[in-house]
This record gives sequence, structure tokens and C-alpha cells, in this order.
Amino acid sequence: MPPAGAATLLDVDIKSKDFRSASGRPQRALENLRLTLKRGEAGAVVGPSGCGKTTLLRIVAGLEKDFSGEVALPDHGRLGVVFQEPRLLPWRTVAENLRIAAPQATSMEVEALLDALGLSAHAAHFPGELSLGLARRVALARALAIQPDLLLLDEPLVSLDAVLSLELRERVARLINETHVTTLIVTHDLGEAIALADRIFILSPRPARMAAEIRIDAPRGRMTTEAAKAIEQEARSIIASLRSQ
Amino acid sequence: MIRLASFAAMILVWQAASYFADPRGLPGPAPVLLAIVDEAKSGSLFANLAVTLARVMAAFVLAMSLGSAIGYLMGRNRLADRWLDPWLVALLNLPALVIIVLAYIWAGLNEAAAIGAVAINKLPGAVVVVREGARALDPTLDEMAHVFRLPIKTRLRHIVLPQLAPYLAAATRSGLSLVWKIVLVVELLGRSNGVGFEINMAFQLFDVRLLLAYALPFVAIMLGVESFLVQPLERHASRWRGDSARRRY
Ligand SMILES: Nc1ncnc2c1ncn2[C@@H]1O[C@H](COP(=O)(O)OP(=O)(O)OP(=O)(O)O)[C@@H](O)[C@H]1O
Ligand SMILES: [Mg+2]
Repeated sequence: MPPAGAATLLDVDIKSKDFRSASGRPQRALENLRLTLKRGEAGAVVGPSGCGKTTLLRIVAGLEKDFSGEVALPDHGRLGVVFQEPRLLPWRTVAENLRIAAPQATSMEVEALLDALGLSAHAAHFPGELSLGLARRVALARALAIQPDLLLLDEPLVSLDAVLSLELRERVARLINETHVTTLIVTHDLGEAIALADRIFILSPRPARMAAEIRIDAPRGRMTTEAAKAIEQEARSIIASLRSQ
Repeated sequence: MIRLASFAAMILVWQAASYFADPRGLPGPAPVLLAIVDEAKSGSLFANLAVTLARVMAAFVLAMSLGSAIGYLMGRNRLADRWLDPWLVALLNLPALVIIVLAYIWAGLNEAAAIGAVAINKLPGAVVVVREGARALDPTLDEMAHVFRLPIKTRLRHIVLPQLAPYLAAATRSGLSLVWKIVLVVELLGRSNGVGFEINMAFQLFDVRLLLAYALPFVAIMLGVESFLVQPLERHASRWRGDSARRRY
């Protein structure tokens, strides 16, 4: 848990974000969306498919410039991003992919990271030789290798089998606890959000608005099963009321 | 193996054809080989081959580097593409001979005019191919490079170049053969050495033996460059493509 009153690291205040449809009419993707994270906190954004979660993450990453509102990030802060698709360089090996993104990382650090994510055996493989689940883990390793000030994860654990997904969830939770990296995770899996986050942001269906924010006082490893159940029930009732609207 | 057999068949056909033809019009492989040995002994074969090869390389390097830069710019920047496209079309349709003659008239009968004229002939082809490659660059990898703040050098080396490699190889392959053919014309028209000059001499003497004695070794050299330089480089650049169907993430 970061000390009380720690500096705000991420402050996102989006008034609106429109996409122009093929017919030329503007279509609203995001509306009145405010979220903040303090240094060392992990926030999870949950919302139905197609509501605008990836769009939100792209705005934070600086890839969408055409929106009204503001995003405050630390100057020169390093950004580690795991896109919804792995986006590895297919012509470079797994280890090279990491080293190209993080040239300052020592080979010891790279090895340790690959080991922590169960990728040691694949260091010399090309991405085309990996399964999608493995490639996703490489993308996660690459984002961690640059020792980011802010980690952005877009559904990092989908397309992994249930056991592996849970195992990797544990690993990410441990990494957040150990490195205190400020993290914003996008997911549509409520269980994932509860297991990883200090704060859960629930978005409405498209156009995405901030429907509710749930704070978790004893996050990740320190959470009791009862507390997790209570949070899940609270979140589910919020989501159900959004659907009935 | 098949290549070798095909090559042997070619020689056989040549031998057979020369048997029936006028020996002055089409000498057989043996007299041509003798002529090659003669020219090699006098040293003039290697001197002329070297001069021509140097011109081919200079013109090729000039055209490829300039053409790649312009093609990349046109593929990535719409404004540049609109501006430069009419120039490109004009250059593509200008006959090689016109460019060569104009270069000699304007710049004089010198080495720079000769190499420049060849390079200008090759330039638009390289631009077109590399522009195609630059248009096909994966935008999702650009975004990745942007958020990870990869420096320009890293992007060029690890992201742009591997994607352009097949296009550069294609431009190299068509470029080398085009360049060496045009170099001969340039030498014939305004140089006093090189394979093209010797072929002009052979023409005036009506000596087909001499003509083939200069042309064939050069074809062999270009064949060697293709199979011992271009192809291995290409294989090295595409070693990441496994033999099974590739997955793309
Ligand atoms: N470039 C674009 N042009 C037009 N519309 C877009 C564009 N990108 C996204 N959209 C639209 O904006 C909405 C939000 O898309 P976004 O990808 O952010 O959803 P998401 O919440 O990440 O969905 P998922 O959970 O399926 O990944 C969608 O309805 C989508 O069709
Ligand atoms: Mg998405």
C-alpha cells in the first residue's frame, strides 16, 4: 500500500472521444471519464466488450491525440504497454525482443524476467514458434523489462487456459507488490480485477462513462476470501443495474 | 543439380547450333573459350571487366541508396508522394538512351556523367519497389515503437529494415541486371574502356568470338553475385520464417 497522501501519478480526465464512422457521422466512444492512480497503485478498468476500454488505454498511452480532455503523466516517465495483441517483432527472438525494447537491461535481468514468467526455454525462439499464450507472456515480459513508471495492460491474461491464467495472475500480483509499479489493467474478467487491483473502475456500456469506483483496502495477497466475495457481489449488482437501464 | 543440367543443355544446344551455322556468325564454345584465355593472358580481359564492374557497383549503390530514401519518404508521407509522383512517372517513361545522351551532352564525356546516367535509369524502379514496401509497413509495430520510445536508429534497424528486406532484395535483383545492361550502352557511347567498349570494337571488326569472350565472363560474374551474395543474404534475412505456416502476432 502506498503511503497516505502519495503523489498522484496518473490523472485522466476525458470529456469525450469520438470516432468518425465510415458514413462520416461521429460516434461517441468515451464520455466524462475521470480516473486517477497514485504512485504504486494498481487500477483495473472493467466493462463490457466494445465499450471503449482499449480506446481509454490508447489515449493514456498517447496513441490517440484526437479527444477532448486531459491526461497527466509524469514527465519523461517510462511507459510499459501490453497491447491486446502481443505485437512482437517476428524477425527477432524472444530475448532480442526484450533487449530491443529495454537496451539498458542487463542480460541477467532479462534472464530473470524470462524465468519469472516461465519463458526461459523459449529465449532463443522466434515469436512465430510460440503459442498465443506464450507470446502474450513475452509481451508482458517486454513491458516489465523497461522498468516502467506506468504499466498499461490490455487484457493480458485472455486466451490462456484457466490454470495458467490463475498462475499468471498470481505472478502479476506478486510483481505489483514487489516492484510497486503503477499499473492500469483493462479486463472484462471481474475476478481478475479483484485479484489484482487497489481500485476497480466500472465502465458503462458504450459510450463508456465511469459508472462506479470500488476501492479495495487490503488488495491482492492480503485479501480474504470473504472480502473478495463481498466485492464481487457489490460489483455484480452495479453491473446488473447498468444493464437494466 | 537441375540448374547444372540445364546449364549443360544450354552449352550442348550452342555447340549443335554452331555446327550448322557460319563459324563467323556463331562460333562454338571451344573457340570462344580460346578467345577468353587469350584476352585473359594479355590482361585486357580483367582490366575491362574490373572497370565495368566498378561502374556497375557505383551506379547501383548510388541508385539504390537514393531510391530507397526517396521511396521510403514517398511511402510514409502522402504529401511527398503527391509531389514527387509526376516526376517519378516522367523518369520511368524516359528512354534510357535519352538520359545517357543528355548526360553526356550536359556533363561531358566523363566518368561522372556515365555513372550518373546509369543511376538515373535505375532510380525510378528502386523508388517504386521501396515505396510499395514502405506503404506495407505494419502500423501496429509503429505504435509499439512509439510507446516504448525506441530511438530512430533502433526503429530503422529492427522494425523498418526487416520489413523492407524482401522489397530491397527484389529491387537489387532486377536492379543489378538492368544496371549492367545500361552500363554497356554507356561505355559503348562514350567511354574508352570497359566491356561495352570492347564489344563496340568487336562489332566494328564483326568479331562475334571476341564479343562473346567479353559478354559471357561478365554474365558469369553477375550470376555469381546473385547466387553467392544476394541469395544468401536473403536467406539470412528470412530465417525467422519457419517452415510451417507462420503465426503473426
Ligand atoms: N479506429 C476506430 N474507428 C472507428 N471506431 C472505432 C475505432 N476504434 C474503436 N472504435 C469503436 O469504439 C468502440 C470502443 O472500442 P474499444 O476497442 O475501445 O473497445 P473495448 O472495450 O476495448 O472492447 P474489447 O473488450 O472487445 O476489447 C467500439 O464500438 C469500436 O467499434
Ligand atoms: Mg479492447
